[in-house]
Amino acid sequence: MNNTNTLTTDLVRHDSAGLWRLAWRRLRQDKVAIASLCVVTIFAVMMIASYMGLIASHWNAEVAPSYAPPSLHAVTNVANTKVVGIANPQAGPPVDISDIDPLAPRYQEWKERTANIAHEQTQHATSLILGADKWGHDILSKTIKGSEVSISVGILAAFLAVVVGTLLGAVGGYFGGVLDDTLEWFYNIFTSIPYILLILAVAAVFSRGFVTIVLILGLTSWTSVYRLVRAEYMKHSERAYVRAAEALGASHTSRMFKHILPNISHVMLVQYSRYVVDAIKAEVILSFLGLGIPVDMVSWGSILAETQEEVVIGKWSQIIAAGGSMAILVTAISMLTDALRDALDPKLNE
Amino acid sequence: MNAPLLNVEHLQIQFVKKNHDAITAVHDISFTVAPQQIIALVGESGSGKSVTATSILRLLPRTARLSANSKIEFDGKNLLALEAEQLRAIRGKEISMVFQDPMSSLNPVFTIGQQLNESLRLHLKLSKRQASVRAIELLNEVGITNPTARVHSYAHQLSGGQQQRVMIAMAIACKPRLLIADEPTTALDVTVQKQILDLLMQLRAQHNMAIMFITHDLGLVHDIADRVVVMQQGEIREQNSKAALFAHPVHAYTRALMACRPQLDSRPMRLPVVSDFIDGQQQVNVSEVQRQRGSAPTDNIVLEAHGLQKYFTLKTGWFEQEKLTAVEDVSFRLFRGKTLGIVGESGSGKSTTALLLMRLLPASGGKVLFGSRDLLQLNDAELLSMRRRIQIVFQNPYASLNARFTIGQLLLEPLRIHHIGATTQERLQMAAAMLERVGLPKEAMQRYPHEFSGGQRQRIAIARCLMLQPEVLILDEAVSALDVSVQAQVLNLLQDLQNEFGLSYIFISHDLSVVKYISDVVLVMQQGRVVEMADSDQLYASPQTEYTRKLLNAIPGR
Amino acid sequence: MSMTSFIIRRLWQMLPTLLGVMLLIFLLFNWVGGDPAYILAGKVSDPALIASIRKQLGIDQSYLVQFWVFIKQVFTFDLGRSWSTNELVSHILLTRLGPTLTLLIPVLLLETIIAVGCAMLVAYVRGSLTDRIVMMCCTVAMSISFLVYIIVFQWLFGFKLGWFPVQGWTNSFWVNLSHYAPLPILLAILVDVAPSLRLYRSFILDELHHDYVRTARAKGLTEKNIMLKHVLRNAAIPIVTNVASGLPSALVGLFLLEFFFSIPGLGREMVVAVSNSDFPVIKAVTVYLAVFTMVVNLLVDLLYRWLDPRVAYK
Repeated sequence: MNNTNTLTTDLVRHDSAGLWRLAWRRLRQDKVAIASLCVVTIFAVMMIASYMGLIASHWNAEVAPSYAPPSLHAVTNVANTKVVGIANPQAGPPVDISDIDPLAPRYQEWKERTANIAHEQTQHATSLILGADKWGHDILSKTIKGSEVSISVGILAAFLAVVVGTLLGAVGGYFGGVLDDTLEWFYNIFTSIPYILLILAVAAVFSRGFVTIVLILGLTSWTSVYRLVRAEYMKHSERAYVRAAEALGASHTSRMFKHILPNISHVMLVQYSRYVVDAIKAEVILSFLGLGIPVDMVSWGSILAETQEEVVIGKWSQIIAAGGSMAILVTAISMLTDALRDALDPKLNE
Repeated sequence: MNAPLLNVEHLQIQFVKKNHDAITAVHDISFTVAPQQIIALVGESGSGKSVTATSILRLLPRTARLSANSKIEFDGKNLLALEAEQLRAIRGKEISMVFQDPMSSLNPVFTIGQQLNESLRLHLKLSKRQASVRAIELLNEVGITNPTARVHSYAHQLSGGQQQRVMIAMAIACKPRLLIADEPTTALDVTVQKQILDLLMQLRAQHNMAIMFITHDLGLVHDIADRVVVMQQGEIREQNSKAALFAHPVHAYTRALMACRPQLDSRPMRLPVVSDFIDGQQQVNVSEVQRQRGSAPTDNIVLEAHGLQKYFTLKTGWFEQEKLTAVEDVSFRLFRGKTLGIVGESGSGKSTTALLLMRLLPASGGKVLFGSRDLLQLNDAELLSMRRRIQIVFQNPYASLNARFTIGQLLLEPLRIHHIGATTQERLQMAAAMLERVGLPKEAMQRYPHEFSGGQRQRIAIARCLMLQPEVLILDEAVSALDVSVQAQVLNLLQDLQNEFGLSYIFISHDLSVVKYISDVVLVMQQGRVVEMADSDQLYASPQTEYTRKLLNAIPGR
Repeated sequence: MSMTSFIIRRLWQMLPTLLGVMLLIFLLFNWVGGDPAYILAGKVSDPALIASIRKQLGIDQSYLVQFWVFIKQVFTFDLGRSWSTNELVSHILLTRLGPTLTLLIPVLLLETIIAVGCAMLVAYVRGSLTDRIVMMCCTVAMSISFLVYIIVFQWLFGFKLGWFPVQGWTNSFWVNLSHYAPLPILLAILVDVAPSLRLYRSFILDELHHDYVRTARAKGLTEKNIMLKHVLRNAAIPIVTNVASGLPSALVGLFLLEFFFSIPGLGREMVVAVSNSDFPVIKAVTVYLAVFTMVVNLLVDLLYRWLDPRVAYK
């Protein structure tokens, strides 16, 4: 039985290179791809940290005066100005009008509140690398939080689109016939309406919210992955390896998902990362127009919406922060996509 | 002695990969071509013959690097040192080329007239009108019927043979002194191949040009060449005049190539393979014992087809349909333990027949009796159990193995589907035993298909079918994509397996020599119909129909 | 099959798609969209007022009747009036088309010429440093949000340099074209060229891998001739198809520019309608653009068959 043992261990060991591993080896030699991968990883880590509340959880706190300039020592400056600001009312009005002033009972409360705010600042804001916005929010925190929202919309919407598109494309391309005709009808309907128009029309109907925007972007953009996957399934279901599987008696499900799906997964992966980029861009524009995320959230789009007036008065921090981080991430994803497409090219394995 | 027309010296070609590794495709080769000579570069895949041919006009891809001392002299001029302008004056004018795949070599959006005119106007400075007239003459010369109408055709409107004739017309348009033909007939049917070769021979005589013919087919070389260069793995193994080479092959590889191709007049028990010769001890005593093939009235019938039919319907209009017949009234009997060969050219319906028998395509009519049951009437459950008994191996071993499965997974899949073997351990042992039976180590199980050569992959495909211990194995062009030396190994394996397991084969191929070698009964198909069916020796000795005779006459090297 | 019967058959096949589009829009706005009477009545939810609005809009009837009414409206080009401005919807569509086309036509022409030209050049020097740098620039340029371009350019050319008016539009075509349109056109081209260039380059590279290029070289043609004649003629098939089939989405695709530069075009109208929940306008723009898309698709198919002799009418 010695023979059997060696056999199983051999099979488990799998030290032979599969196509994914070969692709990874090719990708690893591509310096641009590795750099892009690092950038994407940094953003991903930042997003997760922000989601878990480890960073940027107080993005909404007023930590500095309006449009405070970028500074590493912003805190002390701010604290000083605030203290001065608080000191003045403490001196009290020269004439005591507390009897007739209806707001008099509130002064004490306000005083405490301002004190609290000053207190909070010193606790949370250690520095203001990118300065503050109109409401005195730390732009860095705000951008991080905005990135979290924009990226998660991109990831989730793209995932939804790829899942829907792949399922429909697989069914239509593999089975053909009436089922395919019906799906083609759906496809024709969705592609007859220009993509942007479709998104705007759907956005007009649904109320705003994070889930809504993911659904809108996901369910309106399944068409191109559907088209690709359908074509691939039509092609592959005629291929000899699928024919051979059928001849061996493999079921439809097995042929569709065990045989064909892994062979087209590289198409889906490349398409997925393209979708992430598209969805991020679309979210930015929708949120800019006020049709995206709700007002109590922040995303790159909603930050950019504030910048139009700021640029005119010479405040560049926000547009650089939001526009720049989006440009960096999207560039990295695009370059990674190109590298992936090349590394996964099935022709290279022949 | 005449000065050579083309003189290739110390040619060394490397391809630089993306990761800057270089693969040497051609190692320091030298040969010459005399004026009006037909020289054949012969070799199997990877021999560097096509790369050599393409390098002469400097048409290699940009990743190719030629070593500094490589020299290609044409008529005294070193082609490698020429300026782009001077080189262009030679391309198409002095030296022209014909490629393997005529369909993709012609520009799809220009008419063939436009493409012919282009060469004529470029090199001969003809006017538009003169060029048009000359184009028609050229088409006439290469045997295109109705050339005045054909100049306005696009490539896709012509058959493969006609496309290649157009390519030849383009190549001879400026009366070149050297024509390089890179596997010009490989993509064509055997009868069309013969026509094209006849045309090339005739044109050479008319135009006094030299031809450099690249091919993998020694039989073809025997028919046409004056001089032969045998290449293997980027090196020249042997070069000599044709007569001398065929009479006294010196290099072991040349002798192996000649021996491992099945001959029409002999049927050794086992085909010689390259290793027999390379290893030195030439145990080629095989030719003395001949294998007996043929059917006897006492043979048991294992599978029987009656009036098999397949047509496809094309919607051509609102209500009209066009019926395309792929297979029409095909009937035959397959005897237990014997091989039925099916030969035919492309479009003859032979592969469709295989798919019908496997129920991989629904038949339009007829019966396939397997035992007492009609295969075409089985329901899904019955079909599944029947799949254990009849299996198929496809042509392209690169396409028929799922690239994402390990060999172990590939071999275990049929066992899982049919619940053969109780445990994975047991199945693994069965798979390992089968792999060893087809000549692969059991360590192959953890590897992926792309790590194997074409011949090895075809062994794996055969092993996968045999895991089910079928009674009937359909081999659909199963050795056609393989080099002759590998083909011989797989044919030997198939015969051994047939003896061992009592398998019945349906062997489908366009290659008449191979079919003759391996079949007991041969069925000739043309345009979906059976033209002739007889015991193989009988069919090849005295063909009864005109079509069969034509096919047999077209076999190169006869 | 002849061209005429091909066209007739394709027109016939459009009907189910058109029906599907109308159904989708109807479902979206009459069913998912909630009761428009509440949207119209605003915060005052007087039941009597709502009932009268419902009657006026015809939404007190069954969905089937409503759908039938909608279909009739679409075919008679009578989609009622805008809820926010009370302007006739058909009038809105017709008057908003002009400004959009004033921008769109120059953008499409210039962008295609620039993109094809640059794509040919970089494909010609494929693999070189120039090629890689251009491609890298394209990727970066595509990654910057359109919003950033608009905001920065508006600031730079409008405020800082004062070369162009920041925004505005007149009734005079020539004033618009010479005065108000250049900056948005420049921006649109700047943003659109990068993705087009990448795409067209890949089309051209695909063609360069074909065997006919080798044949042309073996004939002795110059590289320039091969690129300009053989390759471009083949690459023109996907390029032209791509430009033409992008036409319908381009009609609303300039919405951000129209929005920023206050150009009264279709895209801006759509954005305004969406933020005002002006359903009749959204419905009309969507339905008629869908019809336009279908017609364009048919024309693209014809164009494709005209450009590519391999494709038959079937």
